[in-house]
Amino acid sequence: MRRNESTDVSERFEYLQTLVTEFQDTDSEEAKLQVLANLANFAYDPKNTEHLLQLQVPDLFLDMLTEENEELVEFGMGGLCNLSMDPDCRDAILQGGGISLVTTRLSSRREETVLSAITTLMNLTTAATRPQTTEPGVLQCMLRFSLADSPRLRSLASVFLQDCCSREQVRQAEQQMQGLQAAVGIPLPED
Amino acid sequence: MAAPVNSSSGCWKVPEVYKHHEQQKVCISRPKYREGRKAKAVKVYTINLESQYLMVQGVPAIGVMMELIQLCALYGTVEEYRPLDEYPAEEFTEVYLVKFQKLTSARAAKRNMDEKSFYGGVLHVCYVPEYETVEDTRLKLQDRRSYVMRAAWNRAKEKKEKEATNEGSSSSETTSTSDTSVTRREQTSENLTAGETSNDSHDPDFPLLPLPPQQHYFFRHENLHGTGPTEDKMGTLHNAVTNLKRPQVEGLSTDPSSSNRGQGTKRRMSSNQASEFRFLPRTTHLESRKRKMEEAAEPSATVSGEDGPLIGPKLPEPPKVDMEDDSLNTTVSLIRNTMKQVESVPDLKAVEKKIKPRRRI
Repeated sequence: MRRNESTDVSERFEYLQTLVTEFQDTDSEEAKLQVLANLANFAYDPKNTEHLLQLQVPDLFLDMLTEENEELVEFGMGGLCNLSMDPDCRDAILQGGGISLVTTRLSSRREETVLSAITTLMNLTTAATRPQTTEPGVLQCMLRFSLADSPRLRSLASVFLQDCCSREQVRQAEQQMQGLQAAVGIPLPED
Repeated sequence: MAAPVNSSSGCWKVPEVYKHHEQQKVCISRPKYREGRKAKAVKVYTINLESQYLMVQGVPAIGVMMELIQLCALYGTVEEYRPLDEYPAEEFTEVYLVKFQKLTSARAAKRNMDEKSFYGGVLHVCYVPEYETVEDTRLKLQDRRSYVMRAAWNRAKEKKEKEATNEGSSSSETTSTSDTSVTRREQTSENLTAGETSNDSHDPDFPLLPLPPQQHYFFRHENLHGTGPTEDKMGTLHNAVTNLKRPQVEGLSTDPSSSNRGQGTKRRMSSNQASEFRFLPRTTHLESRKRKMEEAAEPSATVSGEDGPLIGPKLPEPPKVDMEDDSLNTTVSLIRNTMKQVESVPDLKAVEKKIKPRRRI
């Protein structure tokens, strides 16, 4: 029997709402991780975008970026990576102070977190936000990544540098980096 | 992820064993309401983890590489493939790298082949995005972006249309797309089908295939059915693409000479050798029967020329039967043609006898 589409939609919303409620109410770290992963995966499908926006899930993901548990950070960042391609979600994330929260996590030891952060920053880059998302500190970070051992990190950082920044910006960042390295080499005078 | 710096480009260097290749333990502690149909590990999939490159482990080392690639080709065009001899493998198994033309094909292949038995072994399939070039990565992100934008645009369009019709109502909803307090349902059937077709891809393969009308209808009809149930409670999109498997397989088997999809020899090979496969879809049986009929018809075709006189009674024209299925119709008309040829050469009793039961259809 063919189900009513509107039934499907409201059931979907209710299910997502149940997940969010469990996430907020539970004390179990394990349950939190499971639910967070579910939500992050649901965020991959545009069918759920509207519901997730209504449930303020972008803010939920942003909150995860300040958690101590690195796995919560990783899943939260993954959720942001999945959501941020959608313009409405992007705006919600920007309003929640997303750029600085995401940029901070570029220094994470977890590769997945860093990869999700780079992609999220790419998605958050608009004409208005470009000065922030491509500020010199970020560019230097990306330059270092583009020389990393990990092929995924190298590729993604290269795409960021090529697509989100102007050549001039990259050149300046390169020069600054060289300047820093040169400064490190100069021995301090002894008194 | 420490690894020796290797500046050589391309995807064919010594492979690293990365954490995302490893199969994680499944989660056993989920409460019932969010347990999926299949036990899964706790993992988040992003566009960075997915890739058109797949690695298949656990392939029995008994010379079944071609069978493996044929199986992969069921899900989409395979651009390249090779064994990964350098990758650590269990005894008596091999590891293969398979590059699909489209990420959506890779997604479908992973979904359907992972943990499945294959010639006595169990396959472990995972994405290997580290084999992507910078350009591969860029295109992957662009494809994903345009797909998401299209979905967003469709959603906005739906909203505007609904608002236009609701103009006279007491609802005070605004047209702002960033308004998060909208509770009205935006998913109409139009959106659903649009969502479905764009869901599985900006992959135009399936919708653009000139499938016979009934099959095409069947595909869309099945898809609409599958919208709700196919996405599992853990949100993995991989489930949502499975409905495409069957129509694609049918399209493949019923039209072996098709070049619509621009398939290479590998693809054609897979359709011609379908009978050697373990997975034999229903239509392949029809195809092999059709082939047998053709072979049976051949001797009569060569013997009965236009020169020979018509011997024997002219049998009444069998009634036109519509089997409501193009492939069956093809088979029936083929049989009819064969019968006509056989009628003109009555001494080939063996062939006639063979066909006789069919006449009762």
